Amino acid sequence: MTGDPLFADGFDWVVLAILVAKAVIGFTIVVVGVIFMIWFERKVVADMQNRIGPNRAGRWGLGQTLADGIKLIFKEDLKPDRADKPVFRLAPYLSVVPAFLTFTIVPIGGVFTGGNDGGVELFGRRTWMQVADPPVGVLFLLAMSSIAVYGIMLAGWSSGSKYPLLGSVRATAQMVSYEAALGLSVVAVVLLSGSLSTHDIVAAQAGSIFDWNVIATAAVPFVVFCVAATAELNRPPFDLVEAEQELVGGFHTEYSSIRFGMFYLAEFMNTITMSAIIVTLFLGGPAGPVLFGPPLIWGTLWFTLKLLVFLFIFVWLRATLPRYRYDQLMDLGWKRLIPLSLGWLLVIGAISIGRDAGWNRPLTLVGAFSLGVISWAALIGAMRVAKLRRGGDEFGELSTATERVG
Amino acid sequence: MDQYLPLVVMFVLAVGFVVLSLLTSKLLAPDRPTQAKQAPYECGIVPTREPARRFPVRFYLVAMIFIVFDIEIIFLFPWAVVHRELGAFGLWAIVAFIVPFFLSFLWEIAEGGLDWGPLARSRSLGVLTGPERATAPSVRVVGLEGRLAARPEGRATVAVGASSGGDAGGVGH
Amino acid sequence: MIAQNIAFAILALVATLAALRVVTTRNVVHAALYLVVVLASVGALYVLLAAEFVAAVQILIYIGAIVVLFLFGIMLTRATIGVESDLDNDQRWIAAITGLFLLGVLTFVLVESFGDDQLPGLAGVSREELTAQRGTGAVGDAIFSTYLVPFEVISVLLLAALVGAIVLARRD
Repeated sequence: MTGDPLFADGFDWVVLAILVAKAVIGFTIVVVGVIFMIWFERKVVADMQNRIGPNRAGRWGLGQTLADGIKLIFKEDLKPDRADKPVFRLAPYLSVVPAFLTFTIVPIGGVFTGGNDGGVELFGRRTWMQVADPPVGVLFLLAMSSIAVYGIMLAGWSSGSKYPLLGSVRATAQMVSYEAALGLSVVAVVLLSGSLSTHDIVAAQAGSIFDWNVIATAAVPFVVFCVAATAELNRPPFDLVEAEQELVGGFHTEYSSIRFGMFYLAEFMNTITMSAIIVTLFLGGPAGPVLFGPPLIWGTLWFTLKLLVFLFIFVWLRATLPRYRYDQLMDLGWKRLIPLSLGWLLVIGAISIGRDAGWNRPLTLVGAFSLGVISWAALIGAMRVAKLRRGGDEFGELSTATERVG
Repeated sequence: MDQYLPLVVMFVLAVGFVVLSLLTSKLLAPDRPTQAKQAPYECGIVPTREPARRFPVRFYLVAMIFIVFDIEIIFLFPWAVVHRELGAFGLWAIVAFIVPFFLSFLWEIAEGGLDWGPLARSRSLGVLTGPERATAPSVRVVGLEGRLAARPEGRATVAVGASSGGDAGGVGH
Repeated sequence: MIAQNIAFAILALVATLAALRVVTTRNVVHAALYLVVVLASVGALYVLLAAEFVAAVQILIYIGAIVVLFLFGIMLTRATIGVESDLDNDQRWIAAITGLFLLGVLTFVLVESFGDDQLPGLAGVSREELTAQRGTGAVGDAIFSTYLVPFEVISVLLLAALVGAIVLARRD
């Protein structure tokens, strides 16, 4: 509950050197990770579509991302004359910087079992294997994702062009909507760990696989978080922001050269960071069995493996699912995910408190779930009322021709 | 606050990364702007109209509702942290906090505040969109006069259907 | 302590300059962005005071929701790119007087209620005590004991806000 022990015994040059080193390592992980991730996505999607994918630059095309980056650097940077220049220049920063900052709160390793607190010794100082451990860790995550909204919103607005504006208005409404679902599913995790710090959340899941929040919260907040994270990342099937068929490239249509590259990088950095956050919050972070050798290496290994699974799932979704329609997207976010995670949160809270207070367990469960069912029925009823008021008949949503009446 | 120093370092690194990338590009990339390059992208069409100035109020509504939800969620975090110390009292307090909110949320949904589908009432336009359309094409078939008798049975029924459909399709929509 | 004072000076300076730019800039979107700078600096000041939860709330609610709403409103209705000339009106003197009045009231309230009291320094305090005093848990304890009634009233306030939003945005 006390934050990184690095700062516990005063502040000197060694501490400063360690924290700068940790930040540089975190920075390098994100940069190298994003280079790998872009290659990985292109290669896997190519495989799923029976193509070869990048195979020219370097072995297995591994150098493709670097080659693309270098090409982008040498490209002319076009600035549309109708653009709002200062904001146009500012927007890439607002996309990239939060992507880097979010990764700082992810513990990428450490031993949490057997009385260990996840600390490692560096030059005689104890520290944790994450760049920073702010006491409000998960709120920091939410804050960064709300800053990232600005990057997209301002990029679209400042371009002074119609497709970027449309794309960014859509994106803002979408990201803002799913941020609520994201926040609510995180509260369930905080409820079990009793702390906002990511380190404490990981420590609380260290015991066995049944302590992992995905199982301890009965999977619902996990699913909600994953769906909301996908929408927050604007990745398929929620990539309406850059729906090519309608909006050319969405909010970054007017961006070219490495300035466009920054948005591209930010997108993939966010994918990596979100996967890492999912692993941290729900899958125990570095938790896993130690088979042989030093346990420290196994922690990082398990973390990396879990991370790769989620990276693969994100790519898989992209290759598999068609895009949602905007009204479906909003309905899913507001009318399904938010009430579901809110209700589930209260059920988990009731069970947790009931266990302490010695309430009758089955009775608590039955009571909580019947209340949940009643609320859900009320929700369905409300949606039915809305539909009736709108005057939609049985085929209301299916009719292709609409005509204003009244 | 020491916990936030690494964040400051990371912030500096991230900003430095963007600055460096943009600066390298500025030094290495050509800069030959023309009017066509600077024009807003319109898929090759010369832009004639200003970008849309007005958007559906629904987008604004979502942002407003989000503020309410955000405040709601932010109050759940302190409760989640201390809920075990507070015990049943805290649970009832938070339920009392959420119930009015949930009721107004229900009202809002019932009011259609979060509907994004077609806003206006949908009405079938008859034969143009109805299920009968498949059997009764709205295209008037011409040039069959006097040839029906010469056709085999099966084709004749199609022709009859086509001519009746032609009448229906002739009604202007 | 010196580092903290320097950080405070920088943040206060940034906040003040950005606040001046909010009212002097002739572009509405730029004004909103300067407002973000002001709010972020204030959030950083909360971090300096070890009130991290409040800082997170500041960023989440003010920057993440309210200014987004401002910008959204501007973008959806009148987002003219470039300078607008009709942003000024002849109420600037009244506004100045109101601002000075508010400053006076706030200063009076602060001096009246705290006087020469000083916050206990953060230097010698261990991190456990700090967390117990100012952490998220402490905020939770305060909400559910001293401020329980205001907390429940907020729920009703939010209800009113939701209803108001719908009524305002209704199609008729």
